[in-house]
Amino acid sequence: MSKFFYAKLALNNIRKNSQTYAPYIMTCIATVMMYYINYSLAAHTGLSRISGGFTLKTILSFGVAIVGLFSLIFLFYTNSFLIKRRKKEIGLLNILGMEKKHIGRVMIIETCYVALISLSSGLLFGMLLSKLMSLLLMKILRFKVELGFEISFPAIRSTLMVFSGIFVLTLLSNLRQIHLAKPVELLRGGQVGEKEPNTKWLLILVGLITLGSGYYIALTTESPLGALSMFFTAVILVMIGTYCLFTAGSIGILKLLRKNKMIYYRPQNFTTISGMIYRMKQNAVGLANICILSTMVLVTLSTTVSLYIGVEDVLKTRYPRDIMIMASDDLNIQDISWEILEKHGKEPENLVDYFYYSLPIQQKGNQFIVNSGLANSAVRYRDLKALHFISVADYQRITGRDVDLAPNAILLYDVHRDYPYDTINILGREFIIKERLDSLETDGQDAMLVINSYYVVLSDLAFLEHVIEADASTSYYLGFNLIAEDSEIIRIQQEIRTALRELDSRITVDGLQASRNDFYSIYGGLFFLGIFLGILFILGTMLIIYYKQITEGFDDRQRFEIMQKVGMSKAEVKQSIGRQVLSVFFLPLIVATIHIAFAFKFIWRLLMLFNITKISLFVWCTMGTLLVFALFYSIFYLMTSRMYYKIVT
Amino acid sequence: MHLLEVMNLKKIYTTRYGGHQVQALTNVSFTVEKGEYVAIMGESGSGKTTLLNIIAALDKPTSGEVWLDGRNIVTIKEREISAFRRDHLGFVFQDFNLLDNFSLKDNILLPLVLAGKSYKEMISRLNRIANKLGIIHLLEKFPYEVSGGEKQRAAVARGLITGPQLILADEPTGALDSRATDSLLRLFNEINDEGQTILMVTHSTKAASHAKRVLFIKDGQVFHQIYKGSMSYEQMYQKIADTLTLITTGGVRHE
Repeated sequence: MSKFFYAKLALNNIRKNSQTYAPYIMTCIATVMMYYINYSLAAHTGLSRISGGFTLKTILSFGVAIVGLFSLIFLFYTNSFLIKRRKKEIGLLNILGMEKKHIGRVMIIETCYVALISLSSGLLFGMLLSKLMSLLLMKILRFKVELGFEISFPAIRSTLMVFSGIFVLTLLSNLRQIHLAKPVELLRGGQVGEKEPNTKWLLILVGLITLGSGYYIALTTESPLGALSMFFTAVILVMIGTYCLFTAGSIGILKLLRKNKMIYYRPQNFTTISGMIYRMKQNAVGLANICILSTMVLVTLSTTVSLYIGVEDVLKTRYPRDIMIMASDDLNIQDISWEILEKHGKEPENLVDYFYYSLPIQQKGNQFIVNSGLANSAVRYRDLKALHFISVADYQRITGRDVDLAPNAILLYDVHRDYPYDTINILGREFIIKERLDSLETDGQDAMLVINSYYVVLSDLAFLEHVIEADASTSYYLGFNLIAEDSEIIRIQQEIRTALRELDSRITVDGLQASRNDFYSIYGGLFFLGIFLGILFILGTMLIIYYKQITEGFDDRQRFEIMQKVGMSKAEVKQSIGRQVLSVFFLPLIVATIHIAFAFKFIWRLLMLFNITKISLFVWCTMGTLLVFALFYSIFYLMTSRMYYKIVT
Repeated sequence: MHLLEVMNLKKIYTTRYGGHQVQALTNVSFTVEKGEYVAIMGESGSGKTTLLNIIAALDKPTSGEVWLDGRNIVTIKEREISAFRRDHLGFVFQDFNLLDNFSLKDNILLPLVLAGKSYKEMISRLNRIANKLGIIHLLEKFPYEVSGGEKQRAAVARGLITGPQLILADEPTGALDSRATDSLLRLFNEINDEGQTILMVTHSTKAASHAKRVLFIKDGQVFHQIYKGSMSYEQMYQKIADTLTLITTGGVRHE
């Protein structure tokens, strides 16, 4: 036999199985493309010249790893499906006289074809689209710079290596399966194990407990920091719960329904319930996968969209003024600054300046005490607070309000609004909270802190001295706005910084405009990555759905033929199919929505770490992504269910 | 009035590509009376399965009529045809056609459930039939847990449960061993003795020898028929065998 025989046979096999192979190759191309684009952007030489480029690089590199990991999972999954479908054909070849090593050779050639096609076209499309993606990225980041078109050789090398690895792995797993199987088993192919599944009560119990505890964590975690540390625990618990309940719980419920004679022996339920039991056994894991992927899409998109839309708010919270100067004393900061402003012909607007004294402190109820062991981990994070003291004189000056404050009374600005008491006991002295302030012109530092900050305005100067003696740090804050172009503001800020640094090297000079790039490279980078991964996850979801429909179509064809023979009309068959497909299809989406609903508060706490403070924004983003995703999902459902009908009838 | 009357049936298949035409039935006419047990014999490709499919309303003839109990089933509307089949016909197939995901009980009940009967009525009918067929202890089992003969009994029970006017059996013994075949044929004789009309398509001489009348089909036409009358199974068997030899060796037609 000539070498060409195998090559031809391999090509023929792929062509003959195009209904299942075409989506596989398309997925390969798409994942190769996405991997290349992501990598080439992360490695783009232009990025290092942009301010904030380093952050962006880190975020994108993180994305590269995720895309690689999920490519492996998706391609492996799809491949296992393909090989299952082809077992019969391979068994036939085996019986017709091809040895397993010959079949192995055919499979190696097949894999080479697939690898060749997907790597070459994936890289080609990747290169073409990378320019477009870099434009999109720069647009999202609002950078005025343009990243030039470049063919990234490190990206090509990495793509080739990663995907060759994946292809070799899938090939090995295929060869192993062929090697282990007996020809007769191969011939029987997918038609093994039609046994009715048992109800696995233990698995249901495990599922309920894990899902319940995952939800419990999500609902009861109050502090953003707690949310961060519990995030992965909760995610894993919910994932385990989802798998258990999809596999065991669904069958348990269906069997209970079947036990109820009045429900089961009805024309519309009879075939549906028994059909679903059979279906769930085969596809529960696939459905659980779809559900988890959908949840991931929703979480990724809703959070990154919220972050991106909220970035201006975040900037304003963090940098309430165009130019902000922080020092440990006022020195002659003002004189130097005004001199520079004068040179540029500018006046400070919305000027604010005051001293405040900060104390990291431990909270126990309404008691705030300095604990010498603050640094050690015995103090729980959520009890750790930052108290900032401002004299009533300063407060009156910056707000223009006239406040009459008794020595034992204070004004409280509680940034996270979670202080429930009417009194506050600081270092053993009890104060009455005379008023809770809605806002305060702070320097925005508190927005950066994970721990909660309380601003205390007080009139008792002697007590203030006492606080300073208790090792409080003194800060002087000067902030003002300028009416000028962004670029000029940034220039002035840099001049002031240079001048003040000569005075004291610890003085920091920040500003809204100067920091915008940094913020956009973080929030925009995450947003870009969110879209990118969202697309990848949607692709994975669609892939699993597509193959699920095809497998079920082939499996169900015979069953529906029989039913028609014993007196089921075409319309009834169609109805029964419709009901089964619909419930199987939308179950993952519904469960994903429930997951999102339970996770909502939890994710909100996490977003607070990123200074997103408008809950309405997050609500809308979540609902929006859910709606858009459901729309895509439904369109895809219509497309694949038509294909399913075609196979069945 | 005849229970079943087949008049001048003709069926021409056109192959999908090239328009090549195959004549499956040339001109078939016969009648079946109530309470009869008729076997239709013929070689592969003689058109007997096509004939059965048309009588079962699974296929439409090119021309001709099929009257069942005074209704021409060729003209029944597509919407009503499933209900009509469910109510008037019972089926027994060579490969049983039981659904793997239903227990035998549910398989047998399927036509009744589709007809929307109450559960009480279903169960009383099921018990009667399962008792008669001796499968009452198997009802909760699944098709893959029982033998071929037991599967076919369940399939017969499914065919009988609606109380159809006519049982159509397509090679019912084709997938059974000799013991199961004997037992199924006995069962057919029993239910026929109780008045059930049966029309069976087969190429097993043994199966046909149990029928009261055997029709022979060749090249899409009724070639010959034999009445059992008072013949024993052995005599009937011999006569059928002789006829088959005659047909295959191309003998002349005689009444």
